[in-house]
Amino acid sequence: MSETLAIVLAAVVAGTPLLYAALGELITERAGILNLGVEGMMVIGAIAGFAAVYYSGNLWLGVLAAGASGGLLALAFGVLAISLRVNHVAAGLALTIFGISLGSYVGKPLVGQSLSLSEVQLSGGLTSLPLIGPLFREVHPLIWLSWLVFAGIWFFLARSRAGLVLRSVGESTASADALGYPVMRIQYLATVFGGVMAGVAGVFISVVYTSIWTEGIVAGRGWIAVALVIFATWRPGRCLVGAYLFGGMTMAELLGQVIGLGVPTELLSATPYLATVIVLVLISRKDSTMRLSVPASLGKSLDIKG
Amino acid sequence: MTDITRRRLLGGIAATSLWSGLGFPLVRADETLKVGVIHMGAISNTGWEYYQAEAWRALQAKYPNKVEVTVLENVTDIQSVERQFRQLAIQGHKLLFGTTFSQYASLKKLAPQLPQAHFECCAGIEAGKNLGVFEARHYEGTYLTGIAAGRMSKSNVLGWVGAFPVPQVIYSLNAFLLGARSVNPDVELKVVWVNAWVDPAKERDAVSALVSQGADVISGSPNTPVQSEAARAEGVWSIGSTGDFSEYVGETQLASFELDWSPAHIEATQAVMEGNWEPTGRWRGLGEGGFIRMSTRSPALPASVAEELDAAQAAIVAGDLKPFAGPIKDQSGELKVAEGEELSDSEINSMTWLVEGVQGRVPS
Repeated sequence: MSETLAIVLAAVVAGTPLLYAALGELITERAGILNLGVEGMMVIGAIAGFAAVYYSGNLWLGVLAAGASGGLLALAFGVLAISLRVNHVAAGLALTIFGISLGSYVGKPLVGQSLSLSEVQLSGGLTSLPLIGPLFREVHPLIWLSWLVFAGIWFFLARSRAGLVLRSVGESTASADALGYPVMRIQYLATVFGGVMAGVAGVFISVVYTSIWTEGIVAGRGWIAVALVIFATWRPGRCLVGAYLFGGMTMAELLGQVIGLGVPTELLSATPYLATVIVLVLISRKDSTMRLSVPASLGKSLDIKG
Repeated sequence: MTDITRRRLLGGIAATSLWSGLGFPLVRADETLKVGVIHMGAISNTGWEYYQAEAWRALQAKYPNKVEVTVLENVTDIQSVERQFRQLAIQGHKLLFGTTFSQYASLKKLAPQLPQAHFECCAGIEAGKNLGVFEARHYEGTYLTGIAAGRMSKSNVLGWVGAFPVPQVIYSLNAFLLGARSVNPDVELKVVWVNAWVDPAKERDAVSALVSQGADVISGSPNTPVQSEAARAEGVWSIGSTGDFSEYVGETQLASFELDWSPAHIEATQAVMEGNWEPTGRWRGLGEGGFIRMSTRSPALPASVAEELDAAQAAIVAGDLKPFAGPIKDQSGELKVAEGEELSDSEINSMTWLVEGVQGRVPS
């Protein structure tokens, strides 16, 4: 494998957890729900998935556990934010604090434990194919899955009727309600989907990326994912580009230092946040771009009967 | 404690009810010494908090009936730290340990206000009124492990994963390279700052980046099992710097040194029990009663290198070998420490320059 390909692959690996979490959050926010608990759900997904792989030796069981636990946490958020109409920001922040603390508590006996490569990587089947086989060996199945999920979400939002309904809920919850759509059910589904994706993002970090459990393993990536949704102006395509851009920044930051490019590393570290602020400023300049980009009912609890 | 104020009375009542509520037997203050420790993070099996916990565990083991240790963990924000220390002092804890530099400023303020207790802060800057400090000479450990790295490197490139360029990290990596160069003058050290205290995924990428540019021995600070694990996955050696990760990575870890704060805890406790405690600053490295000890060595390390490590360790303990004795040049080739001179403790503690042969930079 050539050096350039290795670097590109490393950037993709770094971007994949961001992609999963941001795509999930994008769907949640497109339904008008602002869930700032992504970081917490990722931590829970990371430990649940890690523990499942550690004890069972099966990658997919880990993905299942991570998705289920992330979804469960999102469901709890949904009860608060959708049914009880708690302020989204407060409930989301509480979810993050809860998730991080619960994750480090549950994960205590596993600190420092690592997974062997055979548990993490798949063999046989597709990898033995000629020509594209090596690609399957180098590119983890969870990365392939993230591309499938991306394609599915793009199709769902842009081309399907269900996606149109979801978007209408996020644009004007009251109107969608008046039209007779099951607004609460749609919002619940979107929130739980966001949680499942965050959970998978978490298991990608703990099982594929690091293959070891320690505290603080998510390290703020949930927040970068939230920023990424804004950076992408709530569009999946830009989400994909942004995830790899932000992932690539991390690699540039580290490699730049080793090669001795003399780049200011702190600046590269801050790039995702800076870029998000710039995008926010750009879209806030005009009412029209604001309307085109931001789901109009985002974060608003409305008095609807479901 | 002769004057009974309203606050003390309330505090006493609260403490009494708390202890009896938890099912602990009530003891009179003159029978056992109550010691309080506040951890900033959670205690796990490796890392900073682990070594802090090992210290009070050693204290408990030494005085099972004479000392009672109250431990609070995960006290993250400064306001809670101050409130909890105050509470512990009011509850009759006579000796209180801070476990991190982050608590130093609070303790400096609190210690004079709470004369009924004595305070000790790990990694504090200097002793103050009613406040002792203790810190380890990490560089003695990194110098020794540097010798192992310098001998074992085939590419003559070592790698260091640094969290932030603070003096403690800088003097550690400088000494690492000085140790390596003492046995292999051609060796270089590449440094990567990850700009985060904890980010395992980024640390892993940092190791990959270092290895891709030729590094074949990896160390870092704070050192984590992730770095060692990544090094093993990349097929290179690792060093356990303030932690022994051989349990996880086996013999690919060449050598390691660990922290041992138990002398600080035991000495302070003894002094308080005997009534002759004084606030002092202790900065100790290897040797009897020191805060650093060499631990696991890889079976892959040749006997000649092991002997070399032993000899260097003996020389450091005896005071014959000073890691920061001249001549030492900085990255630009400028002579920073002349032949026959050595850096003072305060110069080491405020180090912001990298020695010759380090590939990397300190952000200005």
